[in-house]
Amino acid sequence: MARFRLKDSEEYYLALSEQPKRFDADSPVTNVFFDDSNGQVFTVRSGGVTGVTVTGMDKSNSTSFRMEDRGPIISIKFSPDLKILAIQRNQDNQNATVEFVNFKDLAPTNVEYSHTCKWKNAKILGFVWPKVNEITFITDHGIELLQVIPDKKQLKSLKNTSFSCAWFSWCSQSNIVLLAGNNGVLLQPFSLNNSTITKLQKLELEATRPVVERDVFTLRLCDATWCAIFRHAQSATVAAPGPTEVWLMPITGPSGFHYTHVLKTGLVGRFAVNVVDDLVVVHHQASQTSQVFDIMEQSRPEGGGVVHIPLVGATSLRPAAGGALYSDTWVVFQPHYIIDARLGCLWRVHLIPAGLAHSVPKDEISKIVAVLLRRTDGKDAIYRVLNQLVAEAGTYLVQLSDVFDEIHTVYRKWADLEMARNTAGPAPQPDGGAGRARVLISQGELCAHVLQQHSEAAWLVQVVTCYVASLARAGLVVQAAAAELAVRALVTRGPVAGLGAARQAGLGGLAPRKWLAAARAHAQAHGRPTAFTAVYHALLQRNERTRGSPHFLKGEQCDSYVEYYKQITAEPQ
Amino acid sequence: MIDVKAKISSFFIFNSSFGPREGEELQRILYFYPSQTSADTQKMQVGLCEAVIKFMSTFSPKPCEALRTQTKKYIFYQPEKGYWMVLVVRIPYTTKALSAIGESKGTDFVIPSVMFDLLKSSYKMFRMFRGLFKNFTVEEIYSVCDQFFTPYILSRNISNDVADVIQGINYLPLDKNAFFKVLCFIDLLEVNYPHFKCISFIYNEQLIWNGLDTDDMLTLYQYLVQSLLPKEVEKEIHGGAVAAAQRHGRFIHPPEGNQEEKLMKVYLKREEDSEAKQYYLVVYRTMSATICLTVDVHVEVQPEMLRSLDAFIGPQLSTIASTIGEQCTIHALQTAQLLSEHKFVYFNRLNLAFKTSPSVSKLHPSTAVKPEVLSIIADIHTDKKSLGNYGEIIIKTPDEYWITGKSSNDREFYVIIQEKNANLKEIADEVRRICETQMKGIFFYPM
Repeated sequence: MARFRLKDSEEYYLALSEQPKRFDADSPVTNVFFDDSNGQVFTVRSGGVTGVTVTGMDKSNSTSFRMEDRGPIISIKFSPDLKILAIQRNQDNQNATVEFVNFKDLAPTNVEYSHTCKWKNAKILGFVWPKVNEITFITDHGIELLQVIPDKKQLKSLKNTSFSCAWFSWCSQSNIVLLAGNNGVLLQPFSLNNSTITKLQKLELEATRPVVERDVFTLRLCDATWCAIFRHAQSATVAAPGPTEVWLMPITGPSGFHYTHVLKTGLVGRFAVNVVDDLVVVHHQASQTSQVFDIMEQSRPEGGGVVHIPLVGATSLRPAAGGALYSDTWVVFQPHYIIDARLGCLWRVHLIPAGLAHSVPKDEISKIVAVLLRRTDGKDAIYRVLNQLVAEAGTYLVQLSDVFDEIHTVYRKWADLEMARNTAGPAPQPDGGAGRARVLISQGELCAHVLQQHSEAAWLVQVVTCYVASLARAGLVVQAAAAELAVRALVTRGPVAGLGAARQAGLGGLAPRKWLAAARAHAQAHGRPTAFTAVYHALLQRNERTRGSPHFLKGEQCDSYVEYYKQITAEPQ
Repeated sequence: MIDVKAKISSFFIFNSSFGPREGEELQRILYFYPSQTSADTQKMQVGLCEAVIKFMSTFSPKPCEALRTQTKKYIFYQPEKGYWMVLVVRIPYTTKALSAIGESKGTDFVIPSVMFDLLKSSYKMFRMFRGLFKNFTVEEIYSVCDQFFTPYILSRNISNDVADVIQGINYLPLDKNAFFKVLCFIDLLEVNYPHFKCISFIYNEQLIWNGLDTDDMLTLYQYLVQSLLPKEVEKEIHGGAVAAAQRHGRFIHPPEGNQEEKLMKVYLKREEDSEAKQYYLVVYRTMSATICLTVDVHVEVQPEMLRSLDAFIGPQLSTIASTIGEQCTIHALQTAQLLSEHKFVYFNRLNLAFKTSPSVSKLHPSTAVKPEVLSIIADIHTDKKSLGNYGEIIIKTPDEYWITGKSSNDREFYVIIQEKNANLKEIADEVRRICETQMKGIFFYPM
């Protein structure tokens, strides 16, 4: 199968941020912590005595301070408003306690207090800040939601739930915590929204295939929250272990997401997962490559799950300044952070949309465009793909038609929703964000950015025909800009047939001046005045039909064409 | 339907310059039908025509068009300078003999314009498949004419039908998506096979796409609909169906599996051509869809080229054909609801679009229009001045027929109403109503 290669595109479709955030590397006297809720790296030197440095993605959430060393730190996190610092220390034989320090302008005040969780013998597995002034302790006995009152140096219990838990996974974007019980066979999500704890539908796994902590992630993807699980083939039961799959099990989200999505990596080994622009990125250490999956792509559910393969062939991240890629010392955090604790680098992963079209099998071009339509910055790459397809329309006419269809399907859905919003009619059922597009390309934009760039292209007539055909299939009315091109194209291919074709295509709404200009140009170029008179007569009829008089209106600026008509139809005296 | 053998007395072509001297008269006759006519009779007939034409030229710069005697009518047509085609038809002169046969249903009567059109289309057909008369040498022309015109004349069936009075093309109306399917398919074909150009797309007997000059299109359309396709449909009915179902489609020209030498050459003027050129004609058909392609004669058409074309066209064309088939069914149901008790004929001179109330197919003789009525329509149609650019005319026959002719923007519309006790206003109102229901979007207005 021939491949389409987008000109001047990189072979990489994923990149790390240009300049990594630097922090002190992990060492015997330095401990590094990362809080994915606030995107902050904490480097604690000598237990805080020689300083704590907080590095965020920008200066507004970076700071440094000193504190007393009261024992080894397990976890350290700011509240979302950066006004309270919570610290959990390893204090054996003591009650499960978290310490608090009030902050002002990113500097510690001397107001310090602590709180012990309600289960006296419990072990705190971690804590999270679902909201400003609200903290949740996750313990092996259950979870406790507390309100922090910094002025009074007090915490007030809001709600608690008992659950026997071994470890947990937290999604800061949706405030959902996933607790693992029953030796990794039962996963129980809780929502910590609205100052309460809400128990959600549990996820039960096959008893023979329990999961371990490093294989479970809670992700926010396409406005829904998912539990992502790496399912490695079991060598005990299968002679030759198969490749690893990523299972995405829905926890909560808009209707329409009730299938488990199965991402086939085709690989074995160590993996990590990120979410970038609603794409699932699976990093594979051994091959030093990353794959991307789009769960919004069209795929038929089978056997209770929807199966996906990588959108394009696995490629490495774009090499970045700072160090080796896919290093052993990398730690990947949600949604799109990568930390190399030994080097002291914090990166964000981002998408290079054009890279997705770098090398695509010919018949998958429209699929890639569909993927790009669902990406925040996909528009420019789509224009580039389209311009290249139009320039090489002799090879890509079929693909071009498919690409137009993808664009128009998206536009149609949007137009229907707008229509429903602006009228009191029954709202169409939103399809749960599935296939929800971020890029909307109007007819005017497409004409300006693509079609009008190719006025001399060899196959422009065919391209415009296939464009208008696609609009017709989507049930969209051809607007002025596209109609002008279409009329020119149709008149070029044969004035009389073109006119009929135009009528069949529903190109009625175009200014008569445009029709006449195209027809006159054609009539003069080919020495066939009938081409002009045919169009002229058709327009007179239209005038008569719509206005009751065959004459053109003043505002239509057709005087010069009326003159031209008289000139060519004048009887020889 | 007229019996060609009975009605056509003779048909001949002559050029006086081929045998200018006395004693060479036979050489002037390029073709004569019936061929068994004695040489003397041939000479006499041609001589009469030569004389009349020559005589008439002293009165008018326009060539002589017809000659009528008591028993015969002669129609003259000079397609190329010096080349004259003459059709001689017997006309009834003993009413007694006719009434003895019984109801003649107009078979006694051939409308002059129909005869002239027959001459003209036979020449155009000759020109499309053979080229101009003048391009043949004296040695070739006699046999070329014989090979072409004898089967042509014998195969032509002229009925007194509106379709013969007004020669037009039956277009197939499609919804825009189906139409774009056809258009995009043609584009794709031409993009992938740049040597081939699609000049027509026909479904059943109805035209969907035309890439020819309209004049040539009519000739090609008549060739396909009157001659080629009926034979193919016959073949498909008799056993070909199973074989055809196994494959997507097949070439009609060149016939399956044959080599380059079998390619048919035609002289055509494509829409973008300024004059007629010679092309190979390739015809492909699947289900009810037929497409005609042209290839420049300088291109060497390899068998593998055709095989690849077959693989490309077949699957796509059969999909399109079934889409169109569905549309036709829907369309037929809609038309059935609009069925008018009165007959009408629509014709557009610009694209030769032709439409009548009942099916134009000759399988339904019940739709035949009375010859007197037909003759009136033929007269209005032929005499462009009677309606002008914009006009309307209502004629009442001595019996009970009202014939209305309207014209606007090179379009003509005729309605035949059989109503003894109607007045002019009622007829005018009825015509307006039919015009509105049947001809949506096509407006007639007097100016």
